[in-house]
Amino acid sequence: MVTTLCIKELLWMMGGAIEKVKCEHKVLSELDSACGDGDHGTTMLRATNQLEKVMTAHQSDNLQGLLSDMGWTVLGIDGGATGPLLGSFFTGMSESVAGKQTLDTEALTAMFEAGLNALKKQTKAQVGDKTLMDALVPAVAALRAGAEANKEILQILREAAAAAQEGAYSTKNLKARFGRAKYLGDRTLGHQDPGATSISLMFQGFYDGLSTKWEL
Amino acid sequence: MPMKKFINKPENVVKELLEGYTLAYPDKVRLAGNNLVVRAIPKVMGKVGIVTLGGSGHEPGLSGFVGEGMLDVSVPGEIFAAPGAPRCLEAIRLADRGAGVLFVVLNHAGDVLSANMTMELAKKQGLKVKMILTHEDISSGDRDHPEDRRGLVGFFPVYKVSGAAAEAGASLDEVLAIADRMERNMRTLAVAVKTATHPSTGEAIFTLGDDEMEIGMGQHGEAGTGRMKLKTADKTAEIMLAQLLEDLEVRQGEELLVILNGAGATTLMELFIVFRRVSQILAQKKIKMARSLVGEYITTQEQAGFQMHIARMDPDLLSLWDAPCDTPYFVVR
Repeated sequence: MVTTLCIKELLWMMGGAIEKVKCEHKVLSELDSACGDGDHGTTMLRATNQLEKVMTAHQSDNLQGLLSDMGWTVLGIDGGATGPLLGSFFTGMSESVAGKQTLDTEALTAMFEAGLNALKKQTKAQVGDKTLMDALVPAVAALRAGAEANKEILQILREAAAAAQEGAYSTKNLKARFGRAKYLGDRTLGHQDPGATSISLMFQGFYDGLSTKWEL
Repeated sequence: MPMKKFINKPENVVKELLEGYTLAYPDKVRLAGNNLVVRAIPKVMGKVGIVTLGGSGHEPGLSGFVGEGMLDVSVPGEIFAAPGAPRCLEAIRLADRGAGVLFVVLNHAGDVLSANMTMELAKKQGLKVKMILTHEDISSGDRDHPEDRRGLVGFFPVYKVSGAAAEAGASLDEVLAIADRMERNMRTLAVAVKTATHPSTGEAIFTLGDDEMEIGMGQHGEAGTGRMKLKTADKTAEIMLAQLLEDLEVRQGEELLVILNGAGATTLMELFIVFRRVSQILAQKKIKMARSLVGEYITTQEQAGFQMHIARMDPDLLSLWDAPCDTPYFVVR
C-alpha cells in the first residue's frame, strides 16, 4: 500500500503525465482546431519536452525545487494562455511543499489544492466555462474527498483521474466563456475543450506513472 | 497534402523568421537575450521605454515597429501564442532606461495572462512599469463589455504616440496618459473572406463558405457576429464604417485617423477601392480625414480580409503622430 511519496515517486507521477500528454498531443491539436487555432497539442508537446529536461537534470530530493523549476519552465514556454495557467499551477504546488521531503495523502491533496488556488489567481474561469477548470476542480475535489475518507494514495489518484476525465467530457455540452474560443459561442457546443482534456490526461498519467512503477 | 509555405521545419519558424528579420535590418534592430527584438541603438538614458508582447505569425506586427520613436523591445511568442512572463520581464529590464517602462498589451487571453504575471513579478522586483491594454475591436464585445474587446491594429497608433511622447522626454505617467487617450479614442472592425494556414500544424485556422465573408473575425479566426454573403468593396466599407462611427460617436467636424490594414492575402488594389469609399462617406458626413494609412501592419498569414480602424485625433495626438520615427516597417521623417 502506498502511504507516502518521496521525490522518486513524484517523478514517476510527473513522468506518467508527460508520457500521456506526449502520446495524445495530436488529439489535443485536433480538439483545438474545432474552437481554437489547432496548436494546443504542439504547445503541450513543447512544454513536456522542456519538463523532461528539468526532471532529468534534477538531482536533489528537494520537492519544492523540482516543482518550482517545472513551474518556471512551463511559464517560459511561450504557449499563450497555457504557459501562465499550467505554470502557476506548478509554482502554486511548489510553495505548498516547502520544507517537505515526503508527502502523505493529506500533503499531496494540499499540494494540488495549492496549485488550483494559484491558478485561480490568474483566471476567473469557473466550472462550466469550458476551460481546464472543468477537469481540474473535480479532480482536486476527488483528492480531497479521498483524503478525508482515509483512502490510500493510488486509489485517490485513480478517482481524481476519473473525475478529471468526466469533467473533460462534460465540456462537450458547454459553451466557451473564456479564451479565444469564447467568441465562437454556440459553435463550441459539441466539442471537448482541449485544456480540460490536457488536465484529464495529466491526472491519468499521474495515476499510470505511479501505479505501473509501484507495482513492478 | 504538403503545406504550401516557404518554411523549413515548423518548429523552427519563429527562430528563423526573427533571425532573418534582424539580419535584414541590422542598422535598426537586433536580437538580444532570449529572442527579444531590440533597437540596434538603445534609447538614451532617462527616457521612458516602450515594450510589447505578442504571438508570431502576424508580421510585420509586432516586432516590425521596434525602433526610434516607437518600440524599444518586442517579445515575440510562438505562432499565434503569447510569450511567457520570464521573457517579458527580461524585456522590461532591457527597456528600462531609468525612467520606467510602458508595457503595451493587446487584449487576447494568453497575452493578458502573461502580462499580468509579468506585472506581478516586476512589482516584486521593484521595477517601474505601467501597463496599457488595447481593446478596440467593436465586434468582440459591446460598449458595456469593453473587457471583451480584442486588441487589433489599434496597437499601431498606441505605439506611435506613446513612443513619440517617450522620445520627447515625457514621464511614465504622461506617456501612459497619452497611450490611454489614444486607446479610448480608437475603434477597429475586421472582415475576413478566406482562411489562413497555421504554419505549425498546416491546418486551416477557420472555415468560411466560398460565397461568404465574416465581419468581426478576429486576428486568429475568432468568430465574429456578421457572417454574410460576400459583398462589394463599397457595400462592405459602408457597413463597417457605419458601425465604427456609431460606436466611437464621431460627430461632424471631428478629425479622424483612418487605417486600412490588410490581413495578408488581400491586395492593395482591393484596400484602395475600399479606402476610396471610406473617404467618400467621411466627406459626405463632413468628418475630416486628418491622417490615413493603407497597408499591412498586422497580418494573419495568407488570410484574406482587412481591418478598418478609425481614431479620433486632437492636436496633441496629431503632433505625436507626425513626430519622426524610424523602424523597419514605419518611418516618419
